[in-house]
This record gives sequence, structure tokens and C-alpha cells, in this order.
Amino acid sequence: MYMFKDLDPLLHQQLRLSIMSLLMSVKEAEFTFIREKTGASAGNLSVQINKLAEADYIKVQKTFRDNYPLTTCAVTDKGKHSFESYVKSLQEYLKPGV
Amino acid sequence: MKELSKEESLSIITSMIEATKKDLQDNGSWYLLWGWLVFIACAIHYSLMKVGYEHPYYAWILMPVGGVISVVKGIREEKQQRVKTFVDDFMRYVLIAFLVCMLMVLFNSGVLKLTTYPLLMMVYGVWLFLSGGALSFRPLLIGGIINWALAVIGFYVGFETQLLLLAAAVMFGYIVPGYMLRSRYNKASRENVTSFA
Repeated sequence: MYMFKDLDPLLHQQLRLSIMSLLMSVKEAEFTFIREKTGASAGNLSVQINKLAEADYIKVQKTFRDNYPLTTCAVTDKGKHSFESYVKSLQEYLKPGV
Repeated sequence: MKELSKEESLSIITSMIEATKKDLQDNGSWYLLWGWLVFIACAIHYSLMKVGYEHPYYAWILMPVGGVISVVKGIREEKQQRVKTFVDDFMRYVLIAFLVCMLMVLFNSGVLKLTTYPLLMMVYGVWLFLSGGALSFRPLLIGGIINWALAVIGFYVGFETQLLLLAAAVMFGYIVPGYMLRSRYNKASRENVTSFA
């Protein structure tokens, strides 16, 4: 019998999942772009980005552009692998007849 | 906090990927800029030749003008770009290869003589075909093939006809796909309303 894997709690949260889904389809994205696409508040987004960065799912780069701070995020290999496993588990859960 | 259902998770993933994809679409501005510049230069060159003007090639002064506009536009877009994709990286290399080949043809036109324009159309074709593949946009692929076909014809005709062929090449390779890209982009922008709390 197939045993369901527990869904990764780090990814199974609305905003963190949104961030990861967005970053999976690009090479890197700026904080403002992620905020616009997710519609999240800057504070909440920072907290969730930090959680993903602490788990090494994404890497965050802080630089400056025209004297303004610029935060860029990109998915790491570990993040990519975790996201793929998460999607695979989801598909198993949602398989008809299971 | 409300527990996320499996269906909601899948829906978040799909809509975020969709929202990003729409945002990354090319608006066709580069194709339109260069398409119209080359088309107008061809038309002026041809008209000046027909009226017997001594230096009809002055029409190509539009190219350095386009170069300056491109540098300014490129710098501005680079600053405004908030997201980078792997396709962007690939296209940067394609653009460099395209420019190198195009300049090689242009700077050696003294030796290449009547094969200059057909060779240019050949290089345009490579650029358009690769762009079409990378952007998954069929009109650019077709534009590339049309450029190659016109290049072959160009090897067998005189300079005047070559000018007309070049104008047709940029019309079908750049201008028409450019407007189609713009229309796709505008349509996607109107639909691009996705938000999560």
C-alpha cells in the first residue's frame, strides 16, 4: 500500500508556497516584484522569505541600485528539489481513487 | 491560521506560475523599433535611387540613430527589470552572436558587394528563428524562415530588388511579429490580475 508522505510544512503555507512557485519559473526576482505578484504586505513577505532562506530553500541577495537597497531572491537547488517533492506528494494525494 | 487544502495548494502553484509567465512576455518593442528603422531606411534608399540622387545610401544614417536609441532604451529597461529568467540569459548570448555576425557582414560589405544584403537577411533569419524558439512564438519562427527564403532569392537579383527584398524581410520578420507580440502582451496585461492575501 502506498504511504503518503507528509507535506513539507515549510512549503505548505499560502504565502511561502506562492513565493516558491513564483521563483521556480524565473532565475531571480526582486522583492518588489514578489510583493506585487503575491499581494502580501512587506512585513509578512520579509518574515516568510527569511524562513525560506534559513531553510536554504532560497538565497537572498541584498545590494544597492541608485542608492536604494535592492533585495533579490532566487531558488536554491535544495529549494528546487523540495518544491518538486512537494508537488509530487500533492499529486499523489489528489490522484483519483486514492 | 486556516489550513491549506491540497486543491488550494495546486491552485496557488498554477496561478503564480501563470501570473509570472504573463508578466515576462515580450512587448515586441525591439522588433518594432528595428523593423521600422530598417524598413524606412530601405524605402528612402530606394526612393532616392529612383529620383537619381547622388548619395542614396545616406538613408542608412538612421542606423546609428537607432543604435543610440537602443543603448538608452537598453539601459533604462535593465534598470526597470525586476525579474530575470534563464531565457533572458540565453537571449543575451544570442543577441551578442547576432550583433557580431551582422557587424562582420556590414564591415566587409566592400568585399561581399552584392551578397551583403542576402547575408544580412540570413543573419536576421538566425536571430528570428532562435528568438521564436526561445519565446515559443511561431510568427517569429515563420519570420526567420521567410528571411532565409528571401536571402536565397537575394543572391540572384540586382541591388534595387535586394533593397525591396530587405524591406519585405523586415516587414515579415520584425514588424508583423512585433505587432503580434505587442497585441499578445497587451492581452496578457489586461488579464494579469492575480493576488494573494
